[in-house]
Amino acid sequence: MSTLPAPALLRAEGVGCRFGGVRALSNVNLAVGEGEIFGLIGPNGAGKTTLFNVISGLTRASEGRVLWRGGSLEGLGPERISRCGIARTFQNLRLFDNLSVLDNVRVGMHRVAGAPLAGALLASPAFRRRQAEVQDQAMELLELFDLAALAPQRAADLAYGDRRRLEMARALATGPSLLLLDEPAAGMNPAEKDDLCARIARIRERFALTVLIIEHHVPLMMRLCDRLAVLNFGERIALGSPEEVRHDPRVIEAYLGGRPAGQDP
Amino acid sequence: MDTLLQILFNGLSVGAVYALFALGYTLVFSVLGVINFAQGAVFTLGAYFTYLFIGGGVGSNGALAGLQLPFALPFWLALLLAGLAAALVSVGVEAVAFRPLRRRGAEPLLYLITSLGAGVILVNLIQILMGAEGYALPAGALGWLPVTITLAGASVRTVQVLLLLVAAVVVLALTWWLEGTRGGRALQAVAEDATTARLLGIDSDAMIRLSFAASGFLAGISGGLVGLSLSITGPYFGIGFGLKALGVLVLGGLGSVPGAVLAGLIVGLAEALVPGEWSGYKDAVAYAFLFAVLLLRPRGLLGRPLDTRV
Amino acid sequence: MDATLPVQMVLGALLGLSVYLPLATGQLSLATPGFYVIGGYVAALLSTGVAALGGGEPSYPLPSLLLEMGLAALLAAAVAVVIGRPVLKLRGIYLAIATIALVEILRVLNLNLPFTGGAVGIFAIPQPFADPWGYLLLSALLLAAVCWLCARLGAMRLGRAQAAVRDDELAAACMGIDTAQVKLTAFVISAVIAALTGVISAHFLNTWNARQGSFDASITTLAFVVFGGSRTWVGPVLGGLVLTALPELLRPVGDLRLIVYGLVILAGPVVFPQGVITPERLQHWARHRPWRRPSPRAGA
Repeated sequence: MSTLPAPALLRAEGVGCRFGGVRALSNVNLAVGEGEIFGLIGPNGAGKTTLFNVISGLTRASEGRVLWRGGSLEGLGPERISRCGIARTFQNLRLFDNLSVLDNVRVGMHRVAGAPLAGALLASPAFRRRQAEVQDQAMELLELFDLAALAPQRAADLAYGDRRRLEMARALATGPSLLLLDEPAAGMNPAEKDDLCARIARIRERFALTVLIIEHHVPLMMRLCDRLAVLNFGERIALGSPEEVRHDPRVIEAYLGGRPAGQDP
Repeated sequence: MDTLLQILFNGLSVGAVYALFALGYTLVFSVLGVINFAQGAVFTLGAYFTYLFIGGGVGSNGALAGLQLPFALPFWLALLLAGLAAALVSVGVEAVAFRPLRRRGAEPLLYLITSLGAGVILVNLIQILMGAEGYALPAGALGWLPVTITLAGASVRTVQVLLLLVAAVVVLALTWWLEGTRGGRALQAVAEDATTARLLGIDSDAMIRLSFAASGFLAGISGGLVGLSLSITGPYFGIGFGLKALGVLVLGGLGSVPGAVLAGLIVGLAEALVPGEWSGYKDAVAYAFLFAVLLLRPRGLLGRPLDTRV
Repeated sequence: MDATLPVQMVLGALLGLSVYLPLATGQLSLATPGFYVIGGYVAALLSTGVAALGGGEPSYPLPSLLLEMGLAALLAAAVAVVIGRPVLKLRGIYLAIATIALVEILRVLNLNLPFTGGAVGIFAIPQPFADPWGYLLLSALLLAAVCWLCARLGAMRLGRAQAAVRDDELAAACMGIDTAQVKLTAFVISAVIAALTGVISAHFLNTWNARQGSFDASITTLAFVVFGGSRTWVGPVLGGLVLTALPELLRPVGDLRLIVYGLVILAGPVVFPQGVITPERLQHWARHRPWRRPSPRAGA
C-alpha cells in the first residue's frame, strides 16, 4: 500500500455498499490529493460508478464514510455535495435535453447565478448586468469546449462528442475543486481520445482542479493519471502510480485476464 | 340498530367492490404503467347494462325514455352479460384513447387526459340516453332468493352475500387466469418487460387489449353488483367509486393483485366502522389511508420496492 | 355586451397557469381545485361573516376584497408548504393520485365542517362590482401579473432550475440545485394563484360550495394545460381561455356539448401531443409574423 499524500482532498474510509444481497463495494480505502489526476479502473461491474454515486451523494454507503477536506460527507444530498465543490459527469450522459446548450451551462452556474427577486421580476438594470455576466462566463466555458457556436441549440440535437464535452462544461460550471469524470472517452475515436486527454490536462491547470476519472481505456489512463486505483468485485485490489499498477500481478490477473498490461484491451 | 356482524358484512361487501375496481386499474397499470380514468364510466355502464338486462325500464327523461328490453334475464346472467358488454366498451376505449398515443410514444400523462375524455363521453352518452335520474333494482330481481337471510344470528341482505361470493369467485378466477394459463402468463410477461416479451413472440398489442377487456369486465361486474345492492344514483355514480379505488390501489401497492384485494377489504371495513355521527366523513377514509401509506410506505402494503436506480 | 364569459375565460386561464407551474417543474399536481376552493371559502366566509369588512354595504369595499386576497394567499401558501414537503417527494402517478386525494379530502371537509354551509354552501356573497366588467378588469390584472411572472421566470435562475428539474431531477441535484426547494416553490406559487382565483370567483359567482373543487375540476384544469401545451406559459393561458369558452359556445348543441368537450380532450393530445402552443411554434410565428404579411414562402 502506498503512502497517502497528506492532507488528502477526498478520502474514502472503508466504504461499502450493498444492494439487497449484492455487494457492490466493500471496504474501499483511498485518498485523492489536491491537484491529482486520479484514475479508477477495473472490469465492468467492479463498483467504480457506485463509488462515484456514493461520493456524489446519489447512493448512500452501507458502511464506511467519505471525507472531504477532513469533514464527513455522510448524509448529504447531491445538491449539498455539489455545493462543497464536487462535480460529476455521467457514464450515460444526463444532459438537460430540452434546454439549450447555453442554458445547460447556466443551470450548472446555479450556485453563483442568484439575484435579488425584485430586480429579477422587474428586469432591473442591475439584474440584466448580472445576467450578462453569467452569460459571458457561460460562453467562455463553452468556448473552452469548442461549443460556443452551438450555444442556442437544444442539447438533445447535438452530436455525441459534443454532448460529452457539454456535460464536462456543465460540470465545470458548478465551480468545483474536484471533478468526477465517469468514462469520458466512451465511444470516442483515437483522435478524440487524444484531444480529451489534452483537454483534461488543460482544464486541470486552468481551474486548479483535482480530477477523479473512471475509464476503460487503459493506455489513456496510464498516460493521463498521476495515480491509479484498481477495483475488482467491489474491492480495491491495487493502488499506486501507473508504473506500479501496471506491474501489479493481481491487476494483471484480475483485470487484464493474464495479458501484460498496457495493451489495448 | 346494526349488529357488529352486520357492520362488518356491509364493510366487506363494499370493500369487495373497491377491490374489484382496483384490480381493474391494476391490470391496465401493470401492462401500460398508466391509470385508465375511463374505468369509472365503464363501471357505471356495467350497472346500467345489468339494470336493463334484468328487465328494468328506462325512465322518462332520456332519449330512450320508456324503453324496456323484451326479455328479463336472471340476475347472474345479466351480470355476466353486462360484464362482457363493459369489456367490449373498455377495449373500445383502448382503441380510441390509448392506442393512437402509444403509436406516437407519447408521454404517459396524456393517457390521463384522453382516458378521461373517453370517460366524459361515455357518462354523457348515458345521460342523454337514460336521463340523469337514479335507478333502483326492480323488485324480485333476485328471483326466488329471499331479500334477507340470517347468518350467525344476524340478518344480512342476500344481495350482499351474493356480492361477496361473486367477488370472491372473480378474484379466484382472475388469479387462476394470471398464474395458471398461457394468456395470463403472457400478460405478466408483457407487464414485466414489453420489449423482451415481444422478442419472445408475444403480441403485446393483443395483450394490452386483453388487459383492457379484463379490467372492463371487472369494472362492469362490480358496477352491476353495486347497482343490485344499493342503487344507481345517476350517470356519475361510478366516479366516486373510481376515485376511492385509486386510494385502494395505492394502499395495496400499484400492480399488486393480492394487495388490491386486501386494501379494498381494509378500506371497506374501515368505512363501515366509522361511527354514525361522523358518517359525513366516511368518504375521506380511503384518502386518509392513501396519505398515510404514501408517506409511510410509498410502495403500498404488498407492492414491490420503488425503482430508484440511477 | 355581457362580460360574464370573458371573466370565466380569464379565471380559466389563471387556473391553467396554476396547473402549469408545477408541471413546468416536472410535477403532475392536480391540487389546483383544492386551493381554488380554499380561496373561495376564505372570501365567502369573511365577506358574509365579518360585518366590519362592509358586506352590508351596497357595494363591497375593494380594500376588503384585497384583504381577502392577501389572507387567502397566505392560507393557501401555508397549506401548500405543509402538504407539499411530504407529498412532493412522490413521483409521477403517485403525486397525481396524492393530489387528487387532497382535493377529495378538502371536498369532504367542506361538505361536513360546521361553518362551510354543508352541501348548499354559502350564498349571497357581497359584490364589489356592479357588473361583470369590474371582475373582468380585476381578473385580467391578476392574469397579466401571473403572465409577467411566468415570462420573467424564463430569464431567471429559478425558471432554469425548474426546466432542469423537469428534464432530469437527479442531474439537476448534482448541479447544486435544491430540487425539493424548487418543486416546493412552484407548488406554493401554484397554490397562491389558485386561491386568488378562488377569491375572485366566489364573489363573481355570488355563491360558493364544495362542488367548486372536485375531481372534475382537477381534470378540466389539467386539460387546459395539456391542450394548450405545457412547455411555455402561453399554452395554458390559451388552453384556459379556449376550453372555458368551448362549453358555452357549444350551448346551442344542447345535451351534446359535454360530449363534444369530451371529444376535444380525447382528440387534442392525439393531434397535438405537445399541446397547441410549443416554444418552436411561437418562435416560428415570431419570425414569420403570419398575421402581418404573408410569408414569402407561402406565396411560392
